[in-house]
Formats: sequence, structure tokens, C-alpha cells
Amino acid sequence: MAQFPAALDAHLRQVLDYDVERRQQVVDLQAIDLQNIAELKDDVIKHLDEHVDAFFSYLKEWPEVVGLSAGSAFFDEAVRLKREHLIAMVSGDYGKEYVEQRIAFGIAYSKAGLDARMFLGGFHALLRSLGAQIMEDADAPMLAFDRFTSLKKVAFFDLGIIVDVLIADRESTIAQQQNAIRELSTPTLQIRERLLILPIIGVLDTDRARQLTEGLLSAIRANRAKVVVMDVTGVATVDSKVANHLLQTIAASRLMGADVIITGLSADVAQSLVTLGVDLATLNAIGDLQGGLEEAERLLGYQLVRTDQPAPARASA
Amino acid sequence: MAVTVPILKQGDVLIASIQAALTDRGLIELRDALTAKVGQFRSRGVIIDVTALDVMDSFATRTLRGIAEATKLRGAHTVIVGIQPDVAFAMVKLGLALGGMSTALDLEEGLKALAARQLEARR
Repeated sequence: MAQFPAALDAHLRQVLDYDVERRQQVVDLQAIDLQNIAELKDDVIKHLDEHVDAFFSYLKEWPEVVGLSAGSAFFDEAVRLKREHLIAMVSGDYGKEYVEQRIAFGIAYSKAGLDARMFLGGFHALLRSLGAQIMEDADAPMLAFDRFTSLKKVAFFDLGIIVDVLIADRESTIAQQQNAIRELSTPTLQIRERLLILPIIGVLDTDRARQLTEGLLSAIRANRAKVVVMDVTGVATVDSKVANHLLQTIAASRLMGADVIITGLSADVAQSLVTLGVDLATLNAIGDLQGGLEEAERLLGYQLVRTDQPAPARASA
Repeated sequence: MAVTVPILKQGDVLIASIQAALTDRGLIELRDALTAKVGQFRSRGVIIDVTALDVMDSFATRTLRGIAEATKLRGAHTVIVGIQPDVAFAMVKLGLALGGMSTALDLEEGLKALAARQLEARR
């Protein structure tokens, strides 16, 4: 069993689980092909080094391909894998184990950062080398063509797997990044007695909005908050679902006796809120976080005084 | 048998503390008792503590609103206190609004809110 990095695992499992027989059907691999390949087997193995060389010398021509200089550890490993691949390609057995080997191969290239286009070019060079040798050694051109076609089916079978691995690798990167964003929690912070701030940054989806609401309502209870400043400077877009959720959160906070001041609504967000036609009558919005905090302090009866200046006279009650 | 809600008098404020889930009948009884006592004690404020409630349905919401409106007509302002976080959010989700009613975090806050109101009214 090939060793997969943990993060890749879930996606690669899908590649593996995709029915091997189905893969063979997709490239139309039949009994006659296996027979043809068996005919080729000895010849291909005899010229193994030539073919492997064709693949790598093609890749080396391109400045984009790095890490393949002769003698490097990765190069030796890549050559070893390629030899294994060719031997397996003509072995006539394309079951689950074969697929696993191909996956390991795909991961190796993916990790090395090999460009998919370069890889396809290299693969083509390999096929050309194989084809040339088959044509040379066969007695009749038609027979050679049939055999080469059979081998090509296996080659496309391989490519299908490699492409799946490359896609899975990319998808797992995307999934990791999404997780990272989700884990950027939305903290509710107390900055004065009875005053909470809730900075929201990034994309609000339904999941995160729910988490945010729960967090805020329990924080109101725990901190005995009276005013909450919700800062959405970091939210680039708001759709109707999220807007409604925010309004519901504000209404629920009010039921718990806390006023919510919303700050940092960007011009875009403000316009889309208006366009969405959400009910804004109850929204206490203030331009920026500073203004929101000042308003909150006013509501709570705080007064900020600079120590190097005499305190202004208190507004008489 | 409906649970009766104790109504305490604290100065010119009436405090009704709901201890357990109320039946519809219990709610009506609470409404009647509160409107009667507001007149009897010449109260200026009413606090209904719903901390113990983990469900708030449309009937309860409507009745509480009814109490607030009725006591207002009798000269007392009503504050609902102690709505639980999940109750609050469920109410909003279900579209159960408390209308123009006042809410506060807990009993202490509710009393403060009433005191502040009276201070303002006296000015």
C-alpha cells in the first residue's frame, strides 16, 4: 500500500475507490490488448533504459522542470519509479495494486512540483520511443500498430489516474485553505465592563454565521454585556442570507437586553444591503469602529479623558 | 393544574418570576393577576423573569406582549428579563417579535432599566 500524506488521504481514497474495472472499460482495455502487450513485454524490457532515457531527456530540456538534474536523490528515485512503471505497464496486470503504484507515482511528481503540461510532454516522448521501437521490431506494420494501440490504452489508463491524483492534490490544498479560514474563529472580546466587540473578518457562510451567533449570545450572557459593537470592516461581500442572519443575531441580542452597534459597513456592503431590501429600520449603524466604540461608551455612560488635559466639566444631570 | 407564578412587590415594581414551563392557561392567569395587581399596588414597573423558560412559543410571546400593553394602559412599564441565548435565537428564527417591549439581561438589569426610566420621566 502506498504511503499517502495524511491531508491527501481523503481525496486520494476517492481516486482509489473509483472502480478499477471501470477505468479499464473507459480506455477499452480488452483481452486482445493483454495478449498484444504480452507479445511486447520482452522487447520493451530489453530496451527499458532507452525508453526511460527518452522520458527524462525530454523533461531536462525545459527550464521549467527543476530537481531532475542527474545524481540528485529525487532524480534517482524518479528513474527507479519510471523503470518500475514501464515494467508494470507491460506486465499485463492492471488491478488495484497497479493503480496504487500509479497513485504513489503521481504524488511523487505532484510533490516535486512537476508541471502537468511538462509531464504530458514527457509522457508523449516516452510513447514515441516505445512506438518507434515497436515499429522497428515488428514484422508487419499493421501488427505493430495494433500492439502499440494496446499499449497506448494502458498509457491512457495511467494518465487517467495521474490526472486524478493531480486534481485530488489540488483539491486537498483548497480544502486545507478552507479549513484554515474556518478555524479563524470569530472571537467576542470584552473591552470595557458591559461592552463587547465582535470583529468579523473574511467570508461569512451559513455555518460560520451560526457559530458566530451562538458565540455572541453566550458571551452576552457570560460577560453581562449591555452593548455589542459588531465590526464588519473585514467583510467584503454580504448576500441576503448572511444579511438576514446578522439581523437575526442583532434581534436576538436585543432580546437578551444588549444593544448592537454595527460598524464598518463598506460602501459595497451598504449598497447591497439596500438593494437586498432587508429591513434596516432597527439597525444602529455607525461608520467606523472608533465611532462605534465612542457611541457604545456614551450609551454606557463612560467618558474618555486625556490625562494631560484638565477633565471637561461633566454634563450636569 | 397550572403552576401559579409568584408575584413579588418590590417598591413600586412588581416582579413575576416564572419558575417552570407554563401552560397556556397559566400564562392567562399570570396576565390577569399582573394587570389586577398593577392597579392594586399602584406599581410603575413590571418585571417578568423568564430565565427558567427554555421554550418560548407564539402563544407565550403574544401573551407577554399582551401583558406589556395592558400594564402600560394601567400606568406600568414592563420589562422581560432573562431570555436564554438559544431561546432568543429561536424566537428570532421563528419570527416571534416582542414588538416594542423592553428586554434586559437579568433581574438586576431590569430593575436598573426601570429606575433609569423613572429618573428620565421625572426630569
